[in-house]
Amino acid sequence: MEAKAWRNGIGRLAAALVFGALAAGMAHAQTIKIGAPLALTGGLADEGKKQAIAYDMWLKRVNAQGGINVAGKRMKVELIEYDYQTQEQRAQQLAEKLIVDDKVDFLLAPFGSGHTKVVAGVAERYGVPVMATSASSDVIFNQGYKYLFGTLAPNSGSVENLIAVVTKGIPSAKRIAILGREDVFPKAMATVMSDAAKKAGLEIISLEYYPVGALDLATPIAKIRSLKPDWIYVTGYSKDLVLAKKQMADLNVTAPVVTMITGPVYREFIDSLGPLAEGVTSASWWHHSAQFKGDDPWGSTKAFYDEFVAREKSDPDYVHAAAAAALVALQKAVEKAGTTDKAKVRDALASLDIVTFYGPIKFSANGMNGGRDLPIIQVQGGKPVVLHPESIKQGTLRPVK
Amino acid sequence: MDYGQVVANGLMIGAVYACIAVGFSLVWGVLNVINMMHGSFIMLGGYLTFFAWLHLKVSPIVSVVPVAVILFVLGYLIQYLMINRVVTQPVLTTLTLTFGLDMILYNFMNLWFTATPRRVALDLGRLDLGGVVLPLDRVVAMILALVLTGLLYAVMRTSRIGRAIVAVRMDRDAAALMGIRVNQVYAITFGIGALMAGACGALVAVVFPITTSVTGLFLGKAFVICVIGGLGSVPGALVGGLALGLIEAFAGFWFSPQTAILTGFLIMLVLLVVRPTGLVGRRGYE
Repeated sequence: MEAKAWRNGIGRLAAALVFGALAAGMAHAQTIKIGAPLALTGGLADEGKKQAIAYDMWLKRVNAQGGINVAGKRMKVELIEYDYQTQEQRAQQLAEKLIVDDKVDFLLAPFGSGHTKVVAGVAERYGVPVMATSASSDVIFNQGYKYLFGTLAPNSGSVENLIAVVTKGIPSAKRIAILGREDVFPKAMATVMSDAAKKAGLEIISLEYYPVGALDLATPIAKIRSLKPDWIYVTGYSKDLVLAKKQMADLNVTAPVVTMITGPVYREFIDSLGPLAEGVTSASWWHHSAQFKGDDPWGSTKAFYDEFVAREKSDPDYVHAAAAAALVALQKAVEKAGTTDKAKVRDALASLDIVTFYGPIKFSANGMNGGRDLPIIQVQGGKPVVLHPESIKQGTLRPVK
Repeated sequence: MDYGQVVANGLMIGAVYACIAVGFSLVWGVLNVINMMHGSFIMLGGYLTFFAWLHLKVSPIVSVVPVAVILFVLGYLIQYLMINRVVTQPVLTTLTLTFGLDMILYNFMNLWFTATPRRVALDLGRLDLGGVVLPLDRVVAMILALVLTGLLYAVMRTSRIGRAIVAVRMDRDAAALMGIRVNQVYAITFGIGALMAGACGALVAVVFPITTSVTGLFLGKAFVICVIGGLGSVPGALVGGLALGLIEAFAGFWFSPQTAILTGFLIMLVLLVVRPTGLVGRRGYE
């Protein structure tokens, strides 16, 4: 009997709570809906998951603060996510479904330049502002899309900063050997470096690409040894770069400057190479050691970093940060516009000029975040140290021993 | 760069290639099973070695033995409990089964170990022989790979179980009539294939970063080596491995790294047409 009474009581309580919640919901009936096609399975699952984590962190923060401030009224945010299984076709269909069926106010693009382009095309047709969180190739932003805004800066920006830091720190580094992975982003970073270096009056003594399925890099690295370069520049993913650095040590190949894009940005690069990682330079769109104070739900890079580490037990990288920053930019644009009207928010995005935990965000005419001085880092004493920009500099460039 | 270095690089990676392929080749030759799990077996061996080194400070050169034993047991059980049920079916059936099992194993490894690349940071230094640089850890891996391959060869030639495996390979029915327990021989053969993969994984952990994302790459190499060298024989895998190592080194040196892999596949295609039995033919069952 007693148990039954209890259950009864709980039932009533639950009903009251549900009713209360419904009533509260009515009061806040208007929510801002943001749609995100994500690669949660398939080839880009790792990257898709990174975006999802960042979105969730932002969503919890914003809703805990009562939502986005739209002309003095707080509006809660609802995030609608679908898994597009790393299939371009599905990304396109889901973007359309989000706009037509779910009636989202804004969209977030998937990982990478290719899929961003597809979703941006749909968004443009319906006039829905779409935030690109991880597209850095100019070809996406020169399509004349008016509703596309991205938080990453162009590839060329990071390379120009890198060359400036090296030519100032080690002026004798004139002859560069480039080894790039035959793959969209790593290859673009190798080509961009080659062009920018030539423009800066440096000499490219070799430019080679290794295939995606390369297990061993002994031959291209031994070739570099005979050229005796002053600067060795390698692009690829962590596995390739760990292997490349290890084989450089094995074959006694080194140079005063060794750059790896984007190895030292990731913790696993330094962890698995240990002392071999020492002195390697790199460029990134974001690094948590570059501290900013910003007007956003976190307020500072440190707060973002601390929350991330407590939650994920690992360091955030640029993918996480750029994804969260995209939502911050959208939030600030809505607040600035004072409405969720798509065209007005689009205009607010175009004229946005803010500083966030991620750094400054100011979109150039093509929609890319151009207002950023990209950090250059070097592994010193087993840790990534910021060499550039001046404002957050932690150390100076040292030649590799 | 002198040719000495190219040859040295080719031979060092070639010995590891031989080790990668020998277990795969044995299983394919004897059981007529294309073991899609081979690459994952190698990586599992690599991970066991890595964790033994990280947590227990066991040198990979020592952990080769226990890792190989663990993989043998795993391989034996998989064959005994599962593959033996369909082993007489057409090759596509067993291929599908091992493919499915590989997906399970691969995803479990992804879940447990994540795809983050790790490395056994054991830098032994290098030997400099008049301009030809030999990294000591690769030399050790090369010697171990050759010893392991030689050991397998000796087992196949001289031991009772080795002869039984060869007998089953030559004629399954006749071997059964002679009183050989064919299913047992199959399970042991598959176990040996896994053992070689595990031992090879321990060596691979010394020279390559270990990550689940390269399992397919190892499997692909094993295929090419088997076709180049010849299927089902230990010398075939050895010749195929060393040949592929040298081919890739020279193609990479003369042309470009992209061409290296392409050349390996091209030579494989040519051999398939001209000499389908591979370089070391099938003159007999060792």
